[in-house]
Amino acid sequence: MRILTPTELQPFFQSLEPDYEVRVPIALPDGTRTLGRMGEGPLAIEGGPLLIKPTSVFFPQYETGLGYEEGVVRVQAPLPKPLFLVGLTAQDADCLSFVDEFFQANYQDDIYFNKRKGAVIVVVSGRCGQDEEFLKIARNKCDLELISDGAKFIVVPNTETGRELCSKIELGKDEEVADSLAALEKESSELSTEEEEILRQSSHILLEDKVPEGFWAEISRRCIACTACNLFCPTCTCFDVYDRRLKTKIERQRLWDSCQLDGFMREASGHNPMGSEALRTRRRIHHKLAADVLRWGRISCFLCGRCDRVCPTGIGIKAVSREIVKRYGA
Amino acid sequence: MKRTLTTCPYCGTGCNFYLLSNDEERLVGVEPCTEDIVTRGQLCVKGWNAFEFIEHPDRLSEPLIRRGGRLEASSWDEALDLVVNRFKDIQTRYGNDSIAFFSSAKATNEENYLMMKLARAVFKTNNVDHCARLCHSSTVVGLAATLGSGAMTNSISCVDQADCILVTGSNTTEQHPLIGSRIINAVQNGAKLIVVDNRKIRLAHHAHMHIRCRNGTDVAFFNSIMHVIIKEGLEDKQFVSARTENYEELRKVVANYPPERAAQIAGISPQEIINAARMFASAPRGMIVYSMGITQHTHGVDNVKSLANLAMLTGNLGRPGTGVNPLRGQNNVQGACDMGALPDVYSGYQKVTDASIQEKFEKAWGVKGLPDKVGLTTTVAIDAMADGKLKGLYVLGENIMMSHPDQNHVRKALQNLEFLVVQEIFPTLTTEFAHVVLPATSFAEKDGTFTSTERRVQRVRKAMEPIGQSRPDWEILCEIARRAGYGGMIYSSPKEIMDEIAILTPIYGGISYQRIDKVGLQWPCPDPGHPGTPILHEGRFSRGLGLFSPVEYRPSAELPDQEYPFLLSTGRCYFHFHGASMTKRSRLLQREVPLPYIEISPEDAKELGLADREWVYVSTRRGQVKAQARVTDVVMRGVLFMPFHFEEGAANVLTLNALDPGAKIPEYKVCAARIRRAQ
Repeated sequence: MRILTPTELQPFFQSLEPDYEVRVPIALPDGTRTLGRMGEGPLAIEGGPLLIKPTSVFFPQYETGLGYEEGVVRVQAPLPKPLFLVGLTAQDADCLSFVDEFFQANYQDDIYFNKRKGAVIVVVSGRCGQDEEFLKIARNKCDLELISDGAKFIVVPNTETGRELCSKIELGKDEEVADSLAALEKESSELSTEEEEILRQSSHILLEDKVPEGFWAEISRRCIACTACNLFCPTCTCFDVYDRRLKTKIERQRLWDSCQLDGFMREASGHNPMGSEALRTRRRIHHKLAADVLRWGRISCFLCGRCDRVCPTGIGIKAVSREIVKRYGA
Repeated sequence: MKRTLTTCPYCGTGCNFYLLSNDEERLVGVEPCTEDIVTRGQLCVKGWNAFEFIEHPDRLSEPLIRRGGRLEASSWDEALDLVVNRFKDIQTRYGNDSIAFFSSAKATNEENYLMMKLARAVFKTNNVDHCARLCHSSTVVGLAATLGSGAMTNSISCVDQADCILVTGSNTTEQHPLIGSRIINAVQNGAKLIVVDNRKIRLAHHAHMHIRCRNGTDVAFFNSIMHVIIKEGLEDKQFVSARTENYEELRKVVANYPPERAAQIAGISPQEIINAARMFASAPRGMIVYSMGITQHTHGVDNVKSLANLAMLTGNLGRPGTGVNPLRGQNNVQGACDMGALPDVYSGYQKVTDASIQEKFEKAWGVKGLPDKVGLTTTVAIDAMADGKLKGLYVLGENIMMSHPDQNHVRKALQNLEFLVVQEIFPTLTTEFAHVVLPATSFAEKDGTFTSTERRVQRVRKAMEPIGQSRPDWEILCEIARRAGYGGMIYSSPKEIMDEIAILTPIYGGISYQRIDKVGLQWPCPDPGHPGTPILHEGRFSRGLGLFSPVEYRPSAELPDQEYPFLLSTGRCYFHFHGASMTKRSRLLQREVPLPYIEISPEDAKELGLADREWVYVSTRRGQVKAQARVTDVVMRGVLFMPFHFEEGAANVLTLNALDPGAKIPEYKVCAARIRRAQ
């Protein structure tokens, strides 16, 4: 198995730039970690999940899908080179797989797949989380995985693309790591599953319709409608479409939307079937934990933790699930 | 993807974020800073959409000159020369003080500094002011008189340390969302919350006490709170004796406000006053948070003084988790005040009437004869225009047709002007009256600094080239000065302007771009080694001893009567900002609240036979507008609330041009109105 030291990661990623649009975790001037190109900031692989949702690389906040100029319609072109996307967690990889499914069900969303097609997904896991947190190992959920043993990264390919890329790595050295990999896998498998269990129970309670309306009214009073829960959620896929008339052209653009906004569901008459914060908060949680279970056969929250991290008033999905189980779980 | 670290252009919280631009240098989103001490990875909905309006096709992209009644494109040279020549001509005919300059709380510190320098050094008038007149001028006057410094005494993070938070006249979760959510967090962590606000705002749902005083009765209420505190011996005797003066006078005045009397004035129960007094006075760390509900009254200064009196009486100043904390509404309204875009002071609140200060600025700016007479406030200037006494006006980034009270009066004032120049990023109702329109850049196209509500001076950074021929405000102002024959306003960048500000402004003495590159500094920061001041008045007030300034209750200027039976209060909603130039061009924000509306209580709606979303006419003695009724228990019976964002239903057609005698702030929060179905 190929082993790379932290200092060998940068040249490894650089070596891929002729063939890929490489996106890696970088540190911005104030210390914020995000996804960027090499050279846009120092590499910041370690530290756990990025706050920005990695699915935004394929589905950004705002983009132009097509334009009309001088009698010609121009549609968004696929990227000239496929993306090589580093820095997802195992949970992020789950989210991505859900979003992939969403964007190709019924019809294929070209704008998404312009960027997604051919992209290489690299998960970072093992002993490199924030405050020594162990990051769950993803294995077959990604093309390539960088598993940290605390000192160096074991490069584990999981797909044909991953194996091909692995075989071309000239840096680092090959080492027999079966034992240490097995130890890391064991450590990963022994991570607490309490949060998954709470989420499952909460989903079950919601599906059985055991949560009274008063609960949603109570917790939604805290919502300040910042929309961050949606905008940071890797499995939120809602957008609105607008045409913008510029001087010489018209552009059709899409912009992230939020089900926490009144305008999201408001009818032209002004009537809104989702016209209160309580209904909208209920919808957000219910959608992930109940509606998607019925539609896609699985809960569409993979516990990435972003909404809990960013909600200014503590109504992220983990916090609400804990509350649901505590109150209505018996 | 390019990421440019900058400061949000909306409220005064001072959130930092990155503007994202793609390889074609077009803005494509924002990303919050996770490490910034205020932002902490969070933003409100306006922050998330702050990139949206910048490239809107409505942006003004070339200078305009009115010819034959119409605004037509011109060259920069022609427009700038015309501005200088017309102002000089007006001054020659009517005197130096026949023109006025309205600066902007949206613009940077550097630009506000230059605007006041242009007015004073080049055109020799102190007629320079800005929209702080309309929001917190009562704070500047009231807190300067009592504490010695007219700014938020503590830091935003002090919310986390308070044992009891008293929020009055601030819809914090909507107008300063990241401060509002911090208050909710504090309550979750055990702090007590008292909301004194007639509207059932979001915070009221989290409050231990929600007290719904009649609008405009704050002085009676707070005097009575202090009455109870003194009567029950709950005052901080040590603080009062060691750090304050004039206590006896306060004691005498508040003695006349027993709870029974105040309760009658405020329309609440005496017990509410007693309970609130006990709750606030017994907290080891009590924090007062307030905003426009306190300041925008004909007795706004009195309201502010009452809060300062209460904080001093309970010893809640100069420590973490305490303080008198006015939340400033605009991104740089604190900075625009600090920079001396005010008719009575230079930057750093140095008085124009002080000969030694005048001499200092004359020497530094290389001019003679700086004016020493206090100039006109924006509100008084508009009256002067209407009376034909003021002939020329230079407006930088303010839509005064939307923001000032009594729009018909403002219209008359603008029509009376011989020459109006408006420097703007979008066409507005105000540019419709302009003789020259100068296209400026937005916050995303220039460098500079904003000063947040907690006195934190933070960087604004250029993320893209200016749209069309638009130019940053500071460049335009320098060009005007140069063409007026003044050689002292030539700068290669805003950094140089800040260096000059630091030399001339003691509270900014230690501020430099180098020092605030990563984290902003809080003034006073007098020298390059000073760490900044998170909490004012530690150990000593800016004026020495805190001055108790007792005030008597005065009713509002126009109260409901038989003809106009409702009390109309105006303000903002969460999704729009002021005249909505930016927010109505941000699609999600505009979609959220697309129409003018007015809040009315379910009881009143029932009595009038009004259904939710029905169109109504709202009228006052000033005029009439049409809006959608929003039937909600947020407002009390007899009270109407209307946001002032909408041109097609402008609340300021209705409001009253009655001013606080000291601060000259208009009474936006109280006037008499009636309402009827539109059909």
